Amino acid sequence: MPIDRKHIGFSLPPFTVLVDREQLRRFAEAIGNSVHSDLAPPTYMKVIEGENGSSRAIVAALGVDLRRVMHVEQEFDYGAPIRGGDHVTVERRVVDIYDRKDGAHVFVVVESTLRNTHGVSVGRSTQRILVRNEVPIAPA
Amino acid sequence: MNIPLDTAPIGAIIAERTFGPIQREDLERYAQASGDLNPLHLDPEFARQAGFTDVIVHGMFGMALLGRLIEEDIVKQRLLLFRARFRKVIEIDQAIVCRARLTSRAQDTAVLALEALSPSDAVLIEASATVELIVVGNK
Repeated sequence: MPIDRKHIGFSLPPFTVLVDREQLRRFAEAIGNSVHSDLAPPTYMKVIEGENGSSRAIVAALGVDLRRVMHVEQEFDYGAPIRGGDHVTVERRVVDIYDRKDGAHVFVVVESTLRNTHGVSVGRSTQRILVRNEVPIAPA
Repeated sequence: MNIPLDTAPIGAIIAERTFGPIQREDLERYAQASGDLNPLHLDPEFARQAGFTDVIVHGMFGMALLGRLIEEDIVKQRLLLFRARFRKVIEIDQAIVCRARLTSRAQDTAVLALEALSPSDAVLIEASATVELIVVGNK
């Protein structure tokens, strides 16, 4: 199923996330890092931007079946360091939608900007997802 | 391995480490800790409906391992940019070799090419990172 390009520019209302120290510790443990640090690891922006059910909300707004979705590319630009106890405000926006292989593959680019309480950028996260229209979805 | 970025020859492998094997319980733990509860990584039946034989590893889990290589094994000032392409599905129960190679260097930055490889040397993730070098002496 094609995704309407009218969704380019779709954005979620900004939301603010408390970077919880306990959650930071659990994330570090989950990726096998036993060194305790208050600093968010390099990929932690993805965790912050995904709070508030925001990733599900974007997929739902696009009308995409989650079983067709693959995360194919991810980019992080780093600003000021993110630490436990920080409040980070996230804005997420669909910045591009395009297809390849006669519509069998649809790519959606989602950009998130993250700012601290001083309005200073702590980073930008850009995600490219692939919607695989060719996958025959077996009935559940 | 601890090769300084400011003197290493262009093309040199700067760091390499084997992680894993990543198992089902690791995916559960990662899902809970990251909030990425996509059943593709947790529910084998859902994974089959999506065209896979079993659950697959979160691409972001693999990228996090490359992030550990950058943070723990490479001496630098700080990370400026980190980008990854998830080339192949990462299957569970296999080890992942993470490797970083120096590709270019400017006055105070260096660019690294990173790879996450399967045990059979298939490129699972292709990534790059730009880091700020530690400036020695007065600045």
